[in-house]
Amino acid sequence: MPPAGIPPARALPSKESSLFKEVLHYYEDRQLKKGLKAADSILKKFPNHGETLCMKGLILTHLGRREEGLELVKQGVRLDLTSHICWHVFGLIQKGQKNYEEALKSYTQALRFDKENMNILRDAAHLQTQLRLYDGLVETRHTLLRLRPQLRQNWIGLAVAYHLSGNLAEAKTVLEQFERIVKNVPDYDVEMSEVLLYHIRVLEDLGEYTEALTLLDANAKSRAIIDRVAIQEFRARILSKAGKDEAQQAWQGLIEQNADCYDYYKGYLSSRGVDVDAITDENRDKALQSLHDFSQQFSKASAPLRMALELASGAKFAELVQPYLETRLEKGVPSLFADLKSLYRSPEKRDAIESAVTALLSTLQHPPTVPSPPDTDPTEYIWALYFLAQHYSFLGNHKKAIELLDEAIAHTPTLPELYMFKARVLKRAGDPFGAAKNMDLARTLDLQDRFLNTKAGKYRLRAGLVEGAVELFGLFTKKDAQSPSHDLEDMQSLIYLTEEADAQLRNGNLAMALKKYDAIHKIFDVFEDDQFDFHGYSVRKFTVNIYMNLIQWEDTLRSHPAYVHSAIEASRILVRVYDDPKLASKPSSESELSSAEKKAKKKAKKAEKKVQEEAKKANPNATNEDKGLDVSPPKDEDPDGTKLLQGPDLLERAVKVLKPLTTMAKDNVNVWIAIYDVAIRRKKYLQAVQALNHAHMLNADSPELHIRLVDFKRRWLSLSEKPSEDASLATSSAILKLLPDEVSVEVFNSQYLQHHSSRADAILAAAKVSRTLGAPREEVEASLFNALNADTALAIVAFLSEIRSPREEEFRTACQGKFELSTLFLSPADLAAARKAVVQKDPVAEAVEDKAETIS
Amino acid sequence: MGMQACNLHNLPENYTLKYYMYHSLTWPQLSYVAEDEGKIVGYILAKMEEDVSEGDESHGHVTSISVLRSYRRLGLAKRLMIQSQEAMATVYKAAYVSLHVRKSNRAALGLYRDTLGFTIKDIEKGYYADGEDAYAMRLSLKHLAR
Repeated sequence: MPPAGIPPARALPSKESSLFKEVLHYYEDRQLKKGLKAADSILKKFPNHGETLCMKGLILTHLGRREEGLELVKQGVRLDLTSHICWHVFGLIQKGQKNYEEALKSYTQALRFDKENMNILRDAAHLQTQLRLYDGLVETRHTLLRLRPQLRQNWIGLAVAYHLSGNLAEAKTVLEQFERIVKNVPDYDVEMSEVLLYHIRVLEDLGEYTEALTLLDANAKSRAIIDRVAIQEFRARILSKAGKDEAQQAWQGLIEQNADCYDYYKGYLSSRGVDVDAITDENRDKALQSLHDFSQQFSKASAPLRMALELASGAKFAELVQPYLETRLEKGVPSLFADLKSLYRSPEKRDAIESAVTALLSTLQHPPTVPSPPDTDPTEYIWALYFLAQHYSFLGNHKKAIELLDEAIAHTPTLPELYMFKARVLKRAGDPFGAAKNMDLARTLDLQDRFLNTKAGKYRLRAGLVEGAVELFGLFTKKDAQSPSHDLEDMQSLIYLTEEADAQLRNGNLAMALKKYDAIHKIFDVFEDDQFDFHGYSVRKFTVNIYMNLIQWEDTLRSHPAYVHSAIEASRILVRVYDDPKLASKPSSESELSSAEKKAKKKAKKAEKKVQEEAKKANPNATNEDKGLDVSPPKDEDPDGTKLLQGPDLLERAVKVLKPLTTMAKDNVNVWIAIYDVAIRRKKYLQAVQALNHAHMLNADSPELHIRLVDFKRRWLSLSEKPSEDASLATSSAILKLLPDEVSVEVFNSQYLQHHSSRADAILAAAKVSRTLGAPREEVEASLFNALNADTALAIVAFLSEIRSPREEEFRTACQGKFELSTLFLSPADLAAARKAVVQKDPVAEAVEDKAETIS
Repeated sequence: MGMQACNLHNLPENYTLKYYMYHSLTWPQLSYVAEDEGKIVGYILAKMEEDVSEGDESHGHVTSISVLRSYRRLGLAKRLMIQSQEAMATVYKAAYVSLHVRKSNRAALGLYRDTLGFTIKDIEKGYYADGEDAYAMRLSLKHLAR
């Protein structure tokens, strides 16, 4: 007879029962092979024993036989639906697949049959945190604490759970109880110190400043809190919030610790009644005096001097900025312009800086006209020229900037910064090829510097030279990686992926562009998964302050510009291919594999073969190697991305990447335009018009919105079958507000053009709309010749080419005349030549490079 | 993430984001960044040595430090290093701090040895992935203990 409560199908005779205990034991010690053997001998007699089947499946998964393992687990669960072991195993497998929702369901089942299993409870808590199910989390943490109140981490876990669920008052109560009962804390205990700081933070967030300060001061004095910087920062911040006079002293103490932290000065000044973000004529002098005193006290600190420049005005500014510029030019600080350019919001300050540097330049000794020898430091004169070049380029005077840089280069031909900036000027002026070439010159001046190398690669991408760029990146990526691109992707380089995707897109290779954007989305998925381990870890380590920051950061993860950009671009590609499926099969403009790509492919194949061979060599039955439960990414079956452009789910994929943006980037008009483009094609009319509404609220004049409004109206009117009545009514009334019925689309379009007749992008939008409304080509063309603007000119060229305008060439020539430094308006043949010229090395640079390579 | 981007721009030794998370969630006091209007232009990623061998004292280790080329000559690396060292000494009672530097990296060597007072403790053959040797350097933090 089996013990009471155990279903007969689960009960095993004593021999097998002890074998099963061995299985569990072996699994825990990761003696996988032995575990497998024991499981097999149970199954020989009891092939339908659910728990054994599950354990065998789990072990097989660890051994890398995932599919087989999963099947067994599923079978085991079906055979014993009331076993906590079966459900626990299933949950573990699902967790490894990152399928957190399903995993939590399995854990919940497991807990039904074993309510007090600590391991299951803990795992469930981590899943609930990952899924942001905070009410459930509080409950689970409560159970854990009730079962094991002697474990310190269970108290902190509950406090954190309350905090996350928004119940700060309960978090506080838990911490108070914890501190009352905790005993035998060793001196100098980092963990207790962190808990106390966390408690103070909770009090601060509750607005209980007096209580927070009392707790802080008592524990700082007894040295229970040992993080000195944190003590001072908490103290200063809370005193300020409480409006206490001692705040000033506290901030001063912090400045003495770290005289380059702007926040400390801000805090100090605000404790003296000065809000630096809203300075007034009454308190300006007082603030400047304080900053002056600090700069005397900490002569090496830049922060007080720089902050004074922010606050000063008029003659006082001119007086302060001059020595600031002079010492830094003398020292040769390359970031000086980047440091000061935010001051250019004020034209008065901008002019003061210009005249100060110009005057300084005229007093400086002209260096001899012969180029200086390579090892001498660039002189102040050169740095002044460099500064002014940045100044003029910032103001749009690229020609002047180039002149200044050329003068500097003539004197000091060995300073990479000069070529770097020349490259940037050319890029801004519309010459990506000259830009790439100059960046390459900078690179060859210091081949050991990855920064220069990265820039040079990026500029090649901007010039459309994907292959040449990857070659450069490869100089610094891991040599044993499959390819430079793989290494950069593995190292999660969002900048590289974004730049390459954009370059592929500009080159017309939609498949590769989409592949790289996709890679970015996957990296963000990884970033999201990355937090999982810390739900348990931080509570165990008591580093909860920083953990709360991590959670907040994760909650807004996809507001990162790299995600926003790549989601919008990926969605646009998917929509384009949906509209024109031929794009998916059309060979890309660069479909001929370049030699480097071929090489990379060969190498990848070789690497793959090696892996397979090694796998073969290692007999799966002989090994005990634990491959873990986490599913590793499948191997890349689609190296050039062509499969990504196919399939019936293009729009659904677009919906998926755009979804986070509705909350994370809801103030970005392009997000709503992209959402509209997808919704309208999925015939979700209400959703589409709501997206237009959002866009309208953000930027009613947006040219892209204008195009969509007309698009929507035309589609809506031409619908033979309207959606159900309610939705239909809602949609109609929404669109009426944006584009009233009594106005025809033609009139709407010409009104728009009239209102924005000086805006090139609006002219282009109106032209596009006219064309879709059937206006003759000549008329559309003519309107575009009124719109010669650097930002839209290229888009206009593209549109002219799309409508097969005979006047495209004429427009190009006109642009070329207007933007003289630009190479973007060259004929396609000349463009190709210019591109090619970038990677042609001049003999000197090549010699230098060869030499460096043999050294390294 | 800003730290990671800065590292990828500058150095050949890179890490995935989780490694940065691990540092910051284990020793939240030790890593610092230098910012220019919100953009990270320099960082120090540091930790406490986890397996201290017998007879050795508890000590900190600089995993990675760098400053964007365009923000050099401001003394940022030095100041980042000093902030981190203070925290190592006061929070974790580190007796010294250690780091590795490429033999060929003269600029960094100059900073560590001449400006900050590190001494070369050892040469580790083939420490870097590309086979280059590293100097193992050390600086005592006893003067910072309280």
